[in-house]
Amino acid sequence: MQHEYQYFPITVPGKGAGGQTGTWRFVRPVVNLNKCIGCRACWMFCPEATIHVIDGKVEVDYDYCKGCGICANVCPVKAILMEGEDQ
Amino acid sequence: MRKVMSANEAVANAVKLARVGVVGIYPITPQTTVIEKLAEMKAEGEIDADIVRVESEHAAMGVTLGAGAAGVRSFTATGSQGLLYMHEMVWWASGSRVPLVMMVGTRAVGAPWNIWNENTDFMSERDSGWIMAFASNPQEAFDLVLQGFRISEDERVFLPMMVGMDGFILTHMKTNVYLPSQEEVDAFLPPRRQPYVIDPEAPIGMGNIFPPVEYMKLRHSIHSAIQSAESVIKEIGKDYEKISPFNNYRTLNVKYRMEDADYALVLMGAWAGDAMEAIDELREKGINIGMLRIRYLRPWAESEIKELENVKGILVMDRATSLGRGGPLYLEVKATVRNQVKGVVTGLGGVLLNKEDFKRIILKFLKEAKEERSDGVEWYYPAEVEKVELRNPKDVE
Repeated sequence: MQHEYQYFPITVPGKGAGGQTGTWRFVRPVVNLNKCIGCRACWMFCPEATIHVIDGKVEVDYDYCKGCGICANVCPVKAILMEGEDQ
Repeated sequence: MRKVMSANEAVANAVKLARVGVVGIYPITPQTTVIEKLAEMKAEGEIDADIVRVESEHAAMGVTLGAGAAGVRSFTATGSQGLLYMHEMVWWASGSRVPLVMMVGTRAVGAPWNIWNENTDFMSERDSGWIMAFASNPQEAFDLVLQGFRISEDERVFLPMMVGMDGFILTHMKTNVYLPSQEEVDAFLPPRRQPYVIDPEAPIGMGNIFPPVEYMKLRHSIHSAIQSAESVIKEIGKDYEKISPFNNYRTLNVKYRMEDADYALVLMGAWAGDAMEAIDELREKGINIGMLRIRYLRPWAESEIKELENVKGILVMDRATSLGRGGPLYLEVKATVRNQVKGVVTGLGGVLLNKEDFKRIILKFLKEAKEERSDGVEWYYPAEVEKVELRNPKDVE
């Protein structure tokens, strides 16, 4: 039975529930795939889960990456550089 | 089974028969013996509920709500300062739409300390979005708590329910109580249903930030759910007759000698007993007065209260007050009917009223009603107001 007035205060996990947070970014992480060793440190530390490792290669979801730079900081081989969005 | 027991024991038995899984408790005053009874039942292996002792009433509701959200039938009890300390979590429970039942043994609120009965603590939760019932005797305390689980878990409601009862004069009063068997209760109360459940396989966020329109939509849904609870309560009350000899749950509120009444007394709680005795004696003297006992504050059965428009005068007695304004029941009744309504605030902080007090209050009201000046709020207690000498800060030094 459905009751049209019933509404519940829950949210379900989904992509971009807070909107396209990529527009907040003023520096972007750029991955040098030649240096990347596929260790997943960036994937592990990204607070917004915008880094995906597909077939051993790192991909950043720029729609939602806020450009915080944690990935560049934790990368053990300095494969990620933060570049200004205006460049 | 019939047995002599206090309202506290009756409530503990209702919790047992409802097969409650988690009881979150803070076992220090202001608490009632309902949780002691439950702990005793646990120690003797009569129930297998987890009794979780916590550091405050705030946490007691947290545990009860958490268990409810995880799909377990849960219960807690408190009153007075404890209920006030729980206040924030009371709102989280209704806002989360998680079914559960709480007993409130009402008591006065400090300052100053006063351990006696008064309903203001219960009334202060009026706007929190709970289903709110108030018992008048130990049997009703049992019935309302047991029905409460089913009302709360009904898909047309999905809200927590609190059952209030006058501290000491009801919670600790012993009378004959009828208990249905476990099989009968199992048939009456099906396994728990709820709108969502905490499940690691299907994660959800509870109480996350809701933008303005979504927040208001949720408030509106709670408002509608409380209103739709009125017919649910009647339906469940009728179904309750299958397992109980009591058939007075077909309406939310209870009438006494109202068929031919010219005047009506409105109140809720245990003192309805004294009021009925006073009414019987006044009836013998030819005074046609009846009583409407409010059993549900929320939902507020507007159509039942509106029937009061047929009488010549209405007297509302409150064991609670909204200071500077009047009793909450008085204000509710006044907002429902067009008649003149008189309010009497009395019984605060344990002030006892006997049958003679009721007769005195009623007779004064009747005199005023005949002169058509029976409105406003009167405070009734056995003392004169003394003049207090003020001290200025210099003297204090």
